[in-house]
Order: sequence, then structure tokens, then C-alpha cells
Amino acid sequence: MNTLWDRFEGVMVRGEEDDRIAGDFNMWVFVLGDLVIFGAYFVVFMVHRFHEPELFRASQGHLNLLIATLNTIVLLTSSQLVARAVHAARQGDDAAVRRLITQAGGLGALFVVLKVTEWVIEISRGYTLPSDEFFMFYFCLTGVHLLHVLLGLLIFGVVLHEIRQGSGRRVTLVEAGATYWHMVDVIWVLLFAVLYLLR
Amino acid sequence: MSATTETRPAPAAATSTDTLEGKRDLSICWWITVVFYGLFGVIFVPLTRLMPPPGPDMSTAQITEYFQGNRTGIQIGFVVLMVAIGGAAIAAGLIAYQMTLMSVSKIYAYSYITTLAVGALPGCLLGALAFLAAVFRADTDPEVLVLLYDVAFLTFVGSLGCFATNYLVFAVAVLQDRNGIFPRWLAYVAIWQIVTEVLAAPVFVFRSGPFAWNGVISFWEGTILFGIFLGALIRLSRTAIRRQPIEAVA
Amino acid sequence: MNISAQSISLWLAAVFGTVLVAAFVLFPGFLPPMSPEMSSGEVAEFYAENKTWIRTSMVVFDFCCVMLLPLFMVVVHHIKRMRTSTDVFAYCYLSAAASGATILAIANLFWLIAAFRPERNPELLVLLNDLAWITFTAPVGMIIAQNLCLALAVYLDQRPDPVFPKWVGHFNIATAVLTAPAACAAMFKSGPLAWDGLISFWLRLTLFAAYIAVMFFMLRRAMRHEALELQRAPELVPA
Repeated sequence: MNTLWDRFEGVMVRGEEDDRIAGDFNMWVFVLGDLVIFGAYFVVFMVHRFHEPELFRASQGHLNLLIATLNTIVLLTSSQLVARAVHAARQGDDAAVRRLITQAGGLGALFVVLKVTEWVIEISRGYTLPSDEFFMFYFCLTGVHLLHVLLGLLIFGVVLHEIRQGSGRRVTLVEAGATYWHMVDVIWVLLFAVLYLLR
Repeated sequence: MSATTETRPAPAAATSTDTLEGKRDLSICWWITVVFYGLFGVIFVPLTRLMPPPGPDMSTAQITEYFQGNRTGIQIGFVVLMVAIGGAAIAAGLIAYQMTLMSVSKIYAYSYITTLAVGALPGCLLGALAFLAAVFRADTDPEVLVLLYDVAFLTFVGSLGCFATNYLVFAVAVLQDRNGIFPRWLAYVAIWQIVTEVLAAPVFVFRSGPFAWNGVISFWEGTILFGIFLGALIRLSRTAIRRQPIEAVA
Repeated sequence: MNISAQSISLWLAAVFGTVLVAAFVLFPGFLPPMSPEMSSGEVAEFYAENKTWIRTSMVVFDFCCVMLLPLFMVVVHHIKRMRTSTDVFAYCYLSAAASGATILAIANLFWLIAAFRPERNPELLVLLNDLAWITFTAPVGMIIAQNLCLALAVYLDQRPDPVFPKWVGHFNIATAVLTAPAACAAMFKSGPLAWDGLISFWLRLTLFAAYIAVMFFMLRRAMRHEALELQRAPELVPA
């Protein structure tokens, strides 16, 4: 046992999780895969942008940079809280973990509210999904990202629940949740740069 | 007799049964599943050419030409599907059975079966039936052909909820399962599938571009990911069959 | 473990059921319901003018309506807990629920297809619209079968502490009986039995919403009772 192939077989095929690395491994598969998938969306976006730079630049001007910047700050702060929660989990400080995750979740919820507000503003000004190619990408990409944020809030809920139940897996869980949330943050930063800032 | 609750012992704890011996019924179902999906690929791609789809922005004349030029392939392919579609039930039943081996409630298995039962009809057969109707008569009105064309692709690519629910219950079951029937990363791949269903929603709006029913994102990325999920599921199903302790026949 | 699966299934139904209500209100053809007597010109105009809201509401519908299915699977689970001579009603119920969801999914798709190309020949739009409405309203048989199975199981349940009180059986029968006439929507173009009529539309859909709500609460109650049972004597719980 324990050649590299054995470990691969164990984790990938038999789903064994005695190894702490294995538990993270599954989440890393998810994170890396998700980044690749999102990467593909970005590539498609860039290809389309390359073909119609004027249209994209013009439509981009209608976006609300203020709300987006706020959202970026919100997510980055929540990621910092989550990182501190991991540290607290490793120290066995359950109360701190609960507090930090709840706060991060609160910021996540704030992101959702801000994002929906931003959408409502765009739609009320007449920019909707079928308005033009740029807005098509804008709504679809930020929409999928928003789904990821909602899933992240769900994950936080599960983590909090497990901690309250005194689960033995709490450190792994918090770490997995943190990995996921950082991924959500990274994707947002990329989205922010590509959709809002890139000229 | 031991407790008749739904918890089964984890396979790893039982005696080593890394074999397909004594599990002939499961083996048969697995092979039928493999053959079914293989046939599915052959039917939908080279034979009927429903995949990859032509676009919603084709003209009436082009659509008429598409059907008339492909009549034989469509008829042979989909008539075979009329029989082969039973394989979808076998595939669903096999995975659902394996879900009953998990430490989680059978409610997930019931949901798995029923959501796929829904999906088989509007999400697969309806498209095939629309195509068959389109080529049944040689003189069908071109506008009617466009209608059937829309019916086929919108239902095939646009059946979202049945599959989204299916992936969701599967993912939750796998994540909660302490018996490790399937590895957790399969649950995450299933969650990606839900995302692809969401990104297929725009097909009802766009006639061209990456979010149309033949689009890079709504169709291609979704289908490629589905291929990965399906391949993994089938492979891991076999592993689960091998690891399953042989139940003594009374 | 059973309890968490039930909890998740009920929670899914609550969240997505609420979203469905919103989608229902947003669909331009429901409030008030479209008349079967609309001319082809009026139908074409309806789809051309309302395509955005039709698409939005129906896509939400597409995504959400099958999310109710796990709630019905929780019912299946509780029927199995009842002390009837066999579990047969549970499997019949499961089968009917699957078909019922299929019917809803198909109706939904017809509306979406109609809204996809609103410049289509108006006669074809009328065809799609008719298909959507008739599929949505008329096939009540699966609901009736489901409700009948549950009602019979409730009446025949010989547990000293029945899974559901007898009135749940009455409620299921009553809902089935009152829903049944909607089948006639496939025949009538006006009047209370037409697809926009008092019986086939208003009564039928109000009953359906009420049914989901009532069963949601009764299932939660049954789930809690089951949790207590499990705590007291886990080895007596049937698989």
C-alpha cells in the first residue's frame, strides 16, 4: 500500500478518506475543475470580445463600478475572515470558528443583496440578458458566480451545523469550506477584472 | 436477525470481495448500461446527427434540407432508440440500487429514479419523436418542420429541472454517505452538472452565440462535462459492484 | 439519516415551491388565464408582446418544478412506514408521482417553444399553446391515482400511532375528486370546465397549492414522530 498509484486508487476510485490529504483532495478536485470550467467561460468571453471590442467597451460603460467595487471588498474581507476561521479551527477554538464563519456568511449574503441590486438597476435602465452580447455574458457569468456564492453560504451552514454537533471532522470541513470560498473569491476577482475593468 | 434499519456495513469492513463473481445480475445491468450509452452516442451523433445540433438561426429552407437530407439516418437511428431507450431505465435502476447501499435514506434513490423517469421523456424521447414525425412524410409543410425542429432541440437541450434535481439528490446522497459507495469527488462533478443545467437556460432566448442550443457554453461545454460525469459514473459503478459484499442467497 | 433526507427534501420543496409561486404570478398567461377562445391573431400577439416574461417565468418553472418530486418521495417513505399488509401503495404512489412530474415538464416546454419563435405561423402558435394548456390542465389521472393510494394507505394503516390522521385520507380523496373534472378542459372552450374556467383553472390550482402546503406540514409532523420513534427503539424501525 501507499505507492503513489495506491493512493490515487484509494482516493479517486475507492474514495477512501483516512488520509487527511484525501479529504482536501476531493475539494481540490472540485476547485481546480471549477476553475478550469470557469476558465473556459472566460476564454469564450475573450474570443467574443476580440471580435467586437467597440460594442463590449461601450456596453461595459453602463456597468455600475461602485457596487462591483463594494462587492469585491465584501468578498475579500469575507475570505480573510474564513482564513482566520481555519486558523481557529486548528487551534480547536470552536466559538471563534462559529463567529468567524457566521460573519463571513453575513458578508456573503451582503454580496448577494448588492449583486441583485446591481442587476435590478441594470434591468430597470433597459439592459437585459438579450440586450447585446456583452450583457448576455455579463448576466450569465455573474449569475453562475452568484450560484456559487449561494452554494458557499449553504456550505457555511453545513459547517456551522457540524460544529454544533461536535463532529470530529470539523477541521477538515472548515478547511474544505475555506478552500471553496477562496475559489469563489478568486473567480469574482477575475470576473471583476475582465467584465468591469478591462478596457 | 440483525437490525433491519437501512444502514449497511461499509464494504471495506467486510471480507475482501474485490470481484464480480456472484453478482451476475449487477454485471448484466452494468453491461446493458454501457451498451446503451454507447448506442446512444452512435444514434445521436453519426446516425441521426441530432448532436452536435445545427443552429436555431438556420433558415426554413436549410431546416427542410437538413431533415430531407438525413431521412434514412434519422429513421434508422431513432427507430433503434425506440427499442434501446429501455436501457435508460436499466441504467437508472442500477445506480438507484447502488444508492440503496449507501448509509443514507432510500428517499434519495426514489428521487433519483423518478427524476430520470421524467428526464427520459421530455429530455430525450420527445426530441426523437419530433424528428421521426418530421421525416415521416416527404411533403410536410416547411413551417411545420421548423416547429418540430424547435420542439426537438429545445426539449433535448432545455429540459433543465429534472436533471438538475437528479444531480442534486445524487450529490447530496454521495456527500452524506458514510459507506463510501462512490467517492466524494463524483458528487462535486454532479454539482458542476447542475451549473451546466443553469447555463442551458438561455437556450430559450438566443438564436445564436454561445448560449444558443448549439452554443459553445450551453451545448458544448455542457455536453463535454456530461461525458466526463457519465464516464466517471459508469467506471465507479463497476468499482462499487466489485467492492460490494456478496449477499448470501437464502 | 432518514430524517435528514426528509428534512432536505421538504426544505427543497419549500424553497422551490415558493419560487414556483412567483413564477406562476409572473407568467403573463395565468393571471388572468388565457382563454381557449382567443383568435390565432390574439395568440400570436400575446406571444410576441410577452415573450420576455413568458420565457423568464417558464424557464424558472422548468428548473424548479421537478424539485418538488423529493417531497413526494418522502410521502412514499411514510407510506412504507404504515402498517398495511404490503408496501404496494408506496410503489404505486412513486410511479404516479413520476408521471405527474413528467406531464408538468412537458406542458412547460410547450409554452417555452411557443415563445421561442413568436413570428411563427399563428396557426402553429395556437397549436403549441393548445398543447401546453391541455397538457397542463387535463391529465389529472396521475394526481388522482397518487391521492387514492395515499388515502387508502392511511385508511388501512393499522398502527396504534398512525403515520397520518384519518383526515389526511379524506383530504386526499376530496382533492382528487375536485380535481378530476379538469380533464374536461380538453373538450370545452368556455365555461367553468375550460382551461381558464373556475373549476379547471382556479379550483384545480388552488387545490394543488393547498395540497403541497398541507402535505408539507403533515410530513414534517410525521418526520418528527419518526425521529422520536427512532430515539426510543431503533431496532423496531422497518427498513
